Amino acid sequence: MIEPWTVLAILAMAVVTYLTRIGGYVVLRNRTLSPRATAVMEAAPGCVLISVIAPDFVSKNPADLAALAITLLAATRLSMLPTVVIGVASAGVLRWVMG
Amino acid sequence: MSVSEITLGHPPAEARGAEFRRGAAASTPVLLGIVPYALVLGAQAAQKGLSVVEVPLMTGLNFAGGSEFAAIQLWTSPPHVLLIAAITLLVNSRHFLMGAALAPFLRHLPKRKAFPALFLMCDESWALGLADAKRRAAGGLRPAFSLAYYAGTALPFYFAWVIFTTCGAALGPVLGNVERYGFAMAFPAVFLVLLRGMWKGFAAARPWLVSLAVAAATYLVVPGAWYVAAGALSGLVSAWLLAGEK
Repeated sequence: MIEPWTVLAILAMAVVTYLTRIGGYVVLRNRTLSPRATAVMEAAPGCVLISVIAPDFVSKNPADLAALAITLLAATRLSMLPTVVIGVASAGVLRWVMG
Repeated sequence: MSVSEITLGHPPAEARGAEFRRGAAASTPVLLGIVPYALVLGAQAAQKGLSVVEVPLMTGLNFAGGSEFAAIQLWTSPPHVLLIAAITLLVNSRHFLMGAALAPFLRHLPKRKAFPALFLMCDESWALGLADAKRRAAGGLRPAFSLAYYAGTALPFYFAWVIFTTCGAALGPVLGNVERYGFAMAFPAVFLVLLRGMWKGFAAARPWLVSLAVAAATYLVVPGAWYVAAGALSGLVSAWLLAGEK
């Protein structure tokens, strides 16, 4: 049920996240960030998220690439749940159709 | 900060209850929106081998969805603790900015209240709490930041997140091997919607494209999870360089 390494990783996440939450309050409340530092901080979450899913963009499976294109289109106009449903359904159907 | 902010004491319990309910009402629409995220995260975590005890441990102690999705995507058995911690730091680095923006409104609070309040600071509670504090400040209300209102936005969110990720973990295995049915596409779908939420125009998104290109190239050439670090860092460097243009 509980693996030591898993718990350690979870605790590491929890500590790091809490430090980011109090860090701005503790360190930055009496000063302002430079515009450059602000630009970097604002870009950071998006850079990480897109990097994590980058392998999907160079998949060797044409069905998955086509499904990703459909999902990308869905994500630009729909909310969470329909986008996930469309993404999963298109991947499932296209894999079946395209082998 | 004005003197009136210090001289006014804490509101009575009844007023705090009303403030809490006002916050809970404001967060309800967003609350419904996170349920599918939570279920998907729980199911994917179960797929990666996390148990129904470990999932609420993660979502309850960490309580930051974006970093949890990223961590689960990179999860191995056993997990690379440093990689997970570093990715968590990168995804949650925006909290520094959020906390700094909120800090001026928290000055009237003792630290024993400010620190627990910050534990509950997520994108949604931060946005609602800050917007409300600015509205109240404009209306002349002191203190501008209503802790009870903020708690009303954050606590239902917290419990919903922990409960529904646990439900997702419990229901996940029922689906069997989710990869087979195309469920792997749920991850890019979630991430793309998260990115859409962060979208502030093409110019601001240029570092993301750098990240995407570098991460994809690294993934094709270098084995292991290095592509995440390579993509993220190249994006941050380009954000720094692009900011120098202005």
